[in-house]
Amino acid sequence: MTTHTHPTLPEFDYIQPKTLAEASQFLAQHPDEARPFLGGTDVFVRMRDGFLTPKFLVDVKNLDGTNDLRFDPQAGLTLGAAVNMNRVIASPDVQEHYPLLAEACRLVASYQLRTRATVVGNICNASPAGDTIGACLALDGVLHVHGTGGLRREPLATFFLGPGKTTLKPGDIVTAVSFPVPPKGCAGAYLKLGRNKLSDLSLVGVTVLGSPDPGLPSRFRFRIVLASVAPVPLVAAQAEAVLAERAVAPESIRQAAQLASEASTPIDDVRASARYRKLMVRNLTEMALTEVWKKLQK
Amino acid sequence: MEKTNTPKSHSPVGESKPRIDAREKVTGAALYADDIQFGNKLLHARIKRSPYPHARIKKVDLTRARALPGVKAVVSGEDFSGYIGLYLKDRQIFCRERTRYVGDPVAGVAAINPEIAEKALGLIEVEYEVLEPVLNPEFGASPQAPLLHPDLGQYVVASFILPRPGSNISNHFKIRKGDVASAWKKCAAVIERKYRIPHIQHAPLEPHVAIAKVDESGEVTLWDSSQSPFAQRDLIAETLGISQSEMRVIAPLVGGGFGGKAGVSMESLAVAIATKVKGYPVKLLLTREEEFYTAFVRQGLVATFKMGCDKNGRLLAMENTFYWDGGAYTEYGVNITRAAGYSCTGPYEVPNIKADSYCVYTNHPVGGPMRGFGMPEMHAGLEQCIDELALQIGMDAVEFRRRNCLKGGSILPTGGKMHPTGLSECLEKAAEAIDWGKKAPPTAPNKRRGKGLALMWKAPAMPGNAGSSAWIELAEDGMLTLGVGCQDIGQGAFTVAAQMAAAAFGVPYESVRVATPVDTRYSPYEWQTVASRITWSTGNAIINAAHDARQQVLDLVAKAWDETPADLDIVNGMVVSFKSEREIPVKDLAIKGLPKADGKGWMGGPIIGRGNFMPADVTGLDPETGQGEKAVVHYTTGAQAIELEVDLDTGRIDILKGVAAFDVGKAINPDMVKAQMEGGLIQGISSALFECLQLKDGVVQNPSFVDYRIATSADLPKSVQSIIVEVPQDDGPWGARGIGEHSMVPTIPAIANAIYDAIGIRFEGPPFTAEKIYLAMLEAGIVKG
Amino acid sequence: MAFHEIKLTVNGGLEQVRIPSNMTLLRMLRESLALTGTKNGCSAGECGACTVLLNGEPVNSCMVLAVECDGAEVVTVEGLAGDQQLDPVQEAIIHSGGVQCGFCTPGVLISSRALLDRNPDPSEEEISEALVGNLCRCTGYIRIIEGVKEAARIQTARS
Repeated sequence: MTTHTHPTLPEFDYIQPKTLAEASQFLAQHPDEARPFLGGTDVFVRMRDGFLTPKFLVDVKNLDGTNDLRFDPQAGLTLGAAVNMNRVIASPDVQEHYPLLAEACRLVASYQLRTRATVVGNICNASPAGDTIGACLALDGVLHVHGTGGLRREPLATFFLGPGKTTLKPGDIVTAVSFPVPPKGCAGAYLKLGRNKLSDLSLVGVTVLGSPDPGLPSRFRFRIVLASVAPVPLVAAQAEAVLAERAVAPESIRQAAQLASEASTPIDDVRASARYRKLMVRNLTEMALTEVWKKLQK
Repeated sequence: MEKTNTPKSHSPVGESKPRIDAREKVTGAALYADDIQFGNKLLHARIKRSPYPHARIKKVDLTRARALPGVKAVVSGEDFSGYIGLYLKDRQIFCRERTRYVGDPVAGVAAINPEIAEKALGLIEVEYEVLEPVLNPEFGASPQAPLLHPDLGQYVVASFILPRPGSNISNHFKIRKGDVASAWKKCAAVIERKYRIPHIQHAPLEPHVAIAKVDESGEVTLWDSSQSPFAQRDLIAETLGISQSEMRVIAPLVGGGFGGKAGVSMESLAVAIATKVKGYPVKLLLTREEEFYTAFVRQGLVATFKMGCDKNGRLLAMENTFYWDGGAYTEYGVNITRAAGYSCTGPYEVPNIKADSYCVYTNHPVGGPMRGFGMPEMHAGLEQCIDELALQIGMDAVEFRRRNCLKGGSILPTGGKMHPTGLSECLEKAAEAIDWGKKAPPTAPNKRRGKGLALMWKAPAMPGNAGSSAWIELAEDGMLTLGVGCQDIGQGAFTVAAQMAAAAFGVPYESVRVATPVDTRYSPYEWQTVASRITWSTGNAIINAAHDARQQVLDLVAKAWDETPADLDIVNGMVVSFKSEREIPVKDLAIKGLPKADGKGWMGGPIIGRGNFMPADVTGLDPETGQGEKAVVHYTTGAQAIELEVDLDTGRIDILKGVAAFDVGKAINPDMVKAQMEGGLIQGISSALFECLQLKDGVVQNPSFVDYRIATSADLPKSVQSIIVEVPQDDGPWGARGIGEHSMVPTIPAIANAIYDAIGIRFEGPPFTAEKIYLAMLEAGIVKG
Repeated sequence: MAFHEIKLTVNGGLEQVRIPSNMTLLRMLRESLALTGTKNGCSAGECGACTVLLNGEPVNSCMVLAVECDGAEVVTVEGLAGDQQLDPVQEAIIHSGGVQCGFCTPGVLISSRALLDRNPDPSEEEISEALVGNLCRCTGYIRIIEGVKEAARIQTARS
């Protein structure tokens, strides 16, 4: 919270590198002064609020394939870093194979903000409230990171270290996020509780992805990821385990929801109390699991 | 009442004419204050503000800020003397010895661009001694509270405001009527309840902006987004020690006001800084964040109600106490306290009344007028108590209201008599539209469904002599130009003004232009665009101006044709004679007059009509009893009904249906009246479900749209119905009364009553957030923990 | 601070401007090009009053750097109407009574135009979802939504 906000964006120098290598090099040379940006929807706000004071903003859009959205039936989906959320929502491939991702994007802010907002940006901001991160985690997203040492892959599962904190090092630029082909017959849901029906940040967000898995005792595998209730996007592992072990039924779903709630460590803030958030983790998880379970049975 | 002098032709009054300013607004041509181009001499102002809710200023050092290249002026409280304020002059332009809220202006900068101005703020050094703050109006009113305005006794104050020097009470309004103490014994049911209504903010889409320029000669021009150009001329000039005619205020279109741009707030800062950089226009534009905590906010209220009725449901007594959280300065807020005091019973006839309404200084943001002027806050609790009392004696809440609500001739809390009113009709129509008494099943098993209804009343709260004026001119093409000093803040004042001028003079609506922007140098005087008084008060001035112009035309033509004016009329811009059936277009004589019958010379001359209006019969009230002949000019009354569902999984409320029925006397433009009812209903829903300035130790925790949520296009009821009731006002233009504010007055209690109907729970106050509802349901065992 | 020379098309006309790095598209439109129809309501991407079309898609112009718009095509509210007639969204919102103070109107119209470009026959729900980023404090949105429905009809009739 800040009451003293700049009337304009504070002064900085806009840098537009021609290549990823150039970008990485510049960012690595100015570790405390330079910041990469994509849509800017988060960075600009935090600069006006005085939380960020970069001397250089490095535009990493339009670099080497960052605008590509590609789907391959074997390799899966790759979203370039600069692909905005409206493109993700409108993509027939995403709608057909990754509807959970489209739904999560649809619940982010407003249409005009989503013209600028990107999934990769959402991931890199590492806000616990990030709406699309749950879907990316549940869909086993992998980041393509370009650093001073070249290109590497980084699984999302170990990427988040704390609010705004990730494993990225100075010079690292995420160029894309890719997803394997989702498990056959899977179904997902993203339930978001905001103060308004749409456009708000999530007070609590629950992402569920379920799929048939004959190797498990319950014969179904569920991924459950929680938003806004921990320092990082939280995978509710114990809840997932219950649904892997026990037959999926209202009783086990309730138990899983309860475990998800117990795993969450929300805080009190201006948006909601920790107590309410914990209760809503339980209720929304139960609702999301029930919804996904219904879809799986069809 | 139709004026006898009004043309007999087809009248545009009562027709839903399109907005006069719609085309310029949809093409982007409409000019707002921040849109005016001033060229490269324009300076940008920023304000250094107190970070503490209450502090003594020990030292202000401007040296480093002044030395920054690009800075043209740096000022502080030392540079200006005097006090400013509408009803109570308790505010300094820049703080001198003391700061009283987080955001209180301590110093100001003007620089060649906003970035430099912002940098300069960081170079201003202020030393404070932090003082104990007052953060609660009940405590603030107590003798234990630190005194925030030790000079209260010396402040200049309007005659009808009653401050208590030596305390933090800047106005105490009382009603003592009948015998409350003995009335309780006669009651079959008595309830006592306490409510807390939080601060909210107007949140107009256009933030406050003011551009001021002082000439070398000392003449001041202020361009700003304003509901009150004339009041600003008067108050700012007086405080700066210049004469009013040297101060010119130009006020283009207003991007939403809701009261927040009434009176004087940040505009005086821009003018004060501009006096130090003569010749340079100085712009002060509030950030959205500043808008939330430094512009006016709606005062908080702590209200207790005690009310009782007999076994037939007749209200016998009320004892109401209001502690208004007036904030750091109550120059405008004192009159909200008074308005709530004289309207304290709501729209009901109550024989025995004891009421105390206190305006209390606190170290919170400055309370000011907001749509409804105390009535939404006051009705929020009152209309829930009415439901509870009805329940206690086992009577249907609509029936209870039917019996007790004001009718023409009912005795008012201040002693006078109620004028004819359509309140009962509003009640019946709202109840019918919501299918009162019928319970529909919820739309899903995890929902609870409920209905609620509330009544309201509100009078324009203003000095008894608040005046309006208007002029009318004609051009060679027969177009009529109407000069008014009222402001179009979105409510449609200019459109309705044009319709009334057209009807009163006798031209089509399309033949009227309104002379804008309002400019105190050329526009006729208007007190302020507030209080839902424009249609009524300016409307009367417009009729007088139109009739004046009309009479000039008719007299001239009568003379030329050797007829009597009574046989003539102006119809669609033509003067016609019923006697001789002759006719002549008004445009043929409007500028150049007519030749004399003998051909030797001319008669007439450019037609210009003038008219004014001021209420004549508002009386003062006894300071001890609040009794008097006529406290206000009139009351607009109405009802709202709500049907909603509560989601048991989350506590979320879904409004299924909203009904509004108001008695507007006469709808000059029915579509725009309905638009006011809809807009007010949604703003009311927004205030009931979402809005609250979260104050912690005097700091607003949510000063942005990120965390001060307002209703969006996705939060609407599934259906909305607006019902116009027309019981004419005897002194209103065509019988009209105002409707701007009223449409959000009963919304909070209507929703609260519907929530109670759904889940059987009542709350201390809004907003009825999903969290609040859910946790209360948990407490009540409706949902499981 | 660095300055940049950029070229872009605004409402069909070519513009060449010199702007500092920190200038937003919103400020450039209002201050450098005097296109003041686009409004500044919050500078934080929350209110939508500054919405313009950037390469055919709506954006909050307060959240876009002017320098990012080199080579871009921008349409503001001033560019909606043709020489002969208003855009259907403009015409319809006048008739539906969806304009009050008018400050949110430019952004509302741009969002509505973008909606009808991608979906010529939107449902009421699709309209309200498309407009959640355009706050309006006056109208309660009801007549705005009616206006967009009407605009879709006008657009179909014209084509």
